[in-house]
Amino acid sequence: MGSLREAIRKALTAGEVAGVVGLILEEGHPRPHLFTKEAIDELERLVVGDVRYPLAGVLLKIHRSDPEARLGIVARGCDERAVLELDRNEQLNGEGVVIFGIACTQEQANACQCAQPYPSSHLFGERAAPVSDSERFDRLESLSKEERFQYWMDQFGKCIKCYGCRNICPMCFCPDCVLEDNDLIKTGNIPPEVPIFHLVRAFHMAERCVDCGLCEEACPAGIPLRTLYKKMRNVVTTQFGFTPGITKEGKGPLQYLGDGEFGKQEGH
Amino acid sequence: MTNSVEELEDAACIMIIGSNTTASHPIVAMHIFRAKEKGAKIIVIDPRKTHIASYADLYLAEKSGTDVAIINGLLHIIIKEGWYDKQFVEERTEGFVELKTLLEEYPPARVAEITGVPEAQLRQAAEMFAKTKQSSIVYCMGITQHTVGVDNVLSLANLSMATGHIGKWASGVNPLRGQNNVQGSTDMAAIPNVLPGYQSLADDAVVSKFEAAWGVTLPRKPGLTLMEIMGAIGTGGIKALYVMGENPAVSDPDIQHVKKALEALELLIVQDIFPTETVALAHVVLPAVSFAERDGTFVTTDRRVQRIRKAIEPIGDTRPGWQIICDVAHAMGAGGFDFASPSEIFAEIASLVPLYAGISYERIAENGIQWPCPTKDAPSTVFLHKDRFSKGLGTFKPVAYKAPAELPDEEYPFILITGRDGFHFHTGSMTRRSKSLTAQINRCYVQIHPLDAKKLKIKAGQMIRLRSRRGAIEVEARITPIVQSGSVFVPFHFAETAANVLTNPALDPVVKIPEYKICAVKLEKAT
Amino acid sequence: MINYHTVYTTCPYCGTGCGMLLEVMNGRLVGVLPCKTNSINQGKLCIKGWSAHEFVHSPERLKKPLLRKDGRLEEVEWDEALSFIASKLKAITQTHGPDSFAALSSAKCTNEENYLLQKFTRAVIGTNNIDHCARL
Repeated sequence: MGSLREAIRKALTAGEVAGVVGLILEEGHPRPHLFTKEAIDELERLVVGDVRYPLAGVLLKIHRSDPEARLGIVARGCDERAVLELDRNEQLNGEGVVIFGIACTQEQANACQCAQPYPSSHLFGERAAPVSDSERFDRLESLSKEERFQYWMDQFGKCIKCYGCRNICPMCFCPDCVLEDNDLIKTGNIPPEVPIFHLVRAFHMAERCVDCGLCEEACPAGIPLRTLYKKMRNVVTTQFGFTPGITKEGKGPLQYLGDGEFGKQEGH
Repeated sequence: MTNSVEELEDAACIMIIGSNTTASHPIVAMHIFRAKEKGAKIIVIDPRKTHIASYADLYLAEKSGTDVAIINGLLHIIIKEGWYDKQFVEERTEGFVELKTLLEEYPPARVAEITGVPEAQLRQAAEMFAKTKQSSIVYCMGITQHTVGVDNVLSLANLSMATGHIGKWASGVNPLRGQNNVQGSTDMAAIPNVLPGYQSLADDAVVSKFEAAWGVTLPRKPGLTLMEIMGAIGTGGIKALYVMGENPAVSDPDIQHVKKALEALELLIVQDIFPTETVALAHVVLPAVSFAERDGTFVTTDRRVQRIRKAIEPIGDTRPGWQIICDVAHAMGAGGFDFASPSEIFAEIASLVPLYAGISYERIAENGIQWPCPTKDAPSTVFLHKDRFSKGLGTFKPVAYKAPAELPDEEYPFILITGRDGFHFHTGSMTRRSKSLTAQINRCYVQIHPLDAKKLKIKAGQMIRLRSRRGAIEVEARITPIVQSGSVFVPFHFAETAANVLTNPALDPVVKIPEYKICAVKLEKAT
Repeated sequence: MINYHTVYTTCPYCGTGCGMLLEVMNGRLVGVLPCKTNSINQGKLCIKGWSAHEFVHSPERLKKPLLRKDGRLEEVEWDEALSFIASKLKAITQTHGPDSFAALSSAKCTNEENYLLQKFTRAVIGTNNIDHCARL
């Protein structure tokens, strides 16, 4: 923890970054915070642990309010993947974002079934072994098409339409959301139109989802969203050789569609 | 709630009655979904086939307002079959014989006829609830907003005591409070018949304690309830009314009458954050801050005293509600209102209310504490009635089924149920100023069963005039089998087409709750 | 310099009492996050909770005290509103007695506010005519 704090302190005091997004412990609860030079003592309360918040999403929010400020982020593997994808989608200037990496513990990696539980470099923790298999994913894949269809219809039917999956997602950066457009998907119903609401979101996640799993953690109805998006990721990987958050260079497959202004229009 | 919200996950059987849980209390529904995932049986009893009803193991489609008959029917079967908890009944209750006598009148055949629920389903529900080890009841306004609201609650208490499903982990009677601080405002005695902490106005020692603390002589005569206050304006008894954060011009039954009453006041003071329909009638308006601009405490449906915290500075020239009351008191020249912060007010509350005596801002900084908490080192009371009821033995109160005050007839052939839409809240003063929520829905509707729609040649989206003996509104038709044929449902959030133009101001005789869940209406196509 | 922090509070809607973090940027609410470590909601919220910040900055907020003059509500200073209330209330209760006053408290206000309004009603005016919308 000492070297992580020291690196952030140095970067802030030297003016290398204007602020660093991380978790602060207050009233016993870790929560997102922007650490700055002006309140440098707050770094003593910087925490790293099991609790995860959408830090890349917070970073994006701050960046939009002050696009000139150079920002840093205390990033796990999943946070770094999100920063990479936000950059690819022209929402951030990723090279301007300073990563203060933290590696997840093996227990955390196991709990998340995370295939890359560490960022490209880290100042805290030790690299845990990747967890590549997802038991639930494999179990669903082994079902017949009819069984699988019924399973998902039942799961989508539980939805209480909180929009938590979208709201918590660091990759949901669009200012106007198709899921709120009454002409496309009927609004005002619980559950939202089954299965179209969830399938539309799944398609939108296809080349964006960095497999952080925050959506599933935020779902009050316990819908296994991450398994659904994992399937989309796998399809994109197999068909296009592109894995969001992992493939470092080049555009995502859907970015070749349209006039190329897609990402730029949104968010700026 | 006698239990905590989280405990529901460990219940093995949950009976949900009169609660559209996924729409009105979605996070409570989350814990119920988890219980189901772990194998719990879910029973839903409701005249509407709500979202959660479609996930129930057993759904009983009762006729509106027949809850007492259903519960008596279940108890009849449970006792006949010997499924009741004999040890619990013997050791912890009284009045079982009287209950048994009354229940003789509720054999399944008769109950099926009153309620519309087939006998076989009554048997299944009775067995499921009684024979499961940890069963819990969850209920909401579908139980209370009736002229027999108290009877309904007593019936549920009878059921839980007879089966021994109370006073245990994950086992109890759990009302869901509709608003963030229903529990707290009642705890604080914003009600006419008790002093803070449910301390009796008739108890000399209690009254002396408050008189000494406040330095005044207190009135001993119980005051009027909300509906009685509205009535007393008409007859001239009430001349001045101070309304804090309420919108009776939309929320009360038969609002055309209520508006006339409010207009007849000599002085109407309204303290609010938005220009509500009640503000429009005021003589003086005091602008308050929102929840994000002040400190204080709210009490959850499971008796948890929790903090709210000031996040931003007051907007405009507004003041925190607590400060406004102190300012009014000072302007009146009154003492006892010199508080610098809500924590000081809370300290006074803790000094006078034994249920809160051990709670302080320091103790609830991180997590709330569930009352009763009588001492500074007492832990949260996670569930109530362990080992004994607060009054000692639990008394069975046999209650007979009574029909609702206004049932359909030839002129007004439909039952109107009013309630909450999942995307809005109360009179809509907050949610209708929230773009994410208005994007979902921003106008009123009426749910009509497909059979009725066909009979009346009503199409989805058509404007329908709903008329009761008190007034009429025009709303859009939604054709859905959620409602039973013969019933319609209208949400109450939309002031411009307020459901309470229609509702019946008939009250429960004991607690004076209006019968929002049942009145008679007719449907006409609006042209 | 940018400022972003969160404030731990309780949802203002139903009685479940979900823990939420209000996101504050440069003195304005910019969002809500569900508190992950609150045992009631455990990192989840419903749509109302997720959008609880939206009405706070509504342009329709009441921003000044209002007093009815010639049939219309007009903006006034606090002192004028408060002294109007004090003199009117005194006059009415002196003429018609304390039971001519009633207060409607609110299930949306805090414990502290409910406590004070009932204390005002009972101790300052001298009546038990106080109720709230728990039944509605």
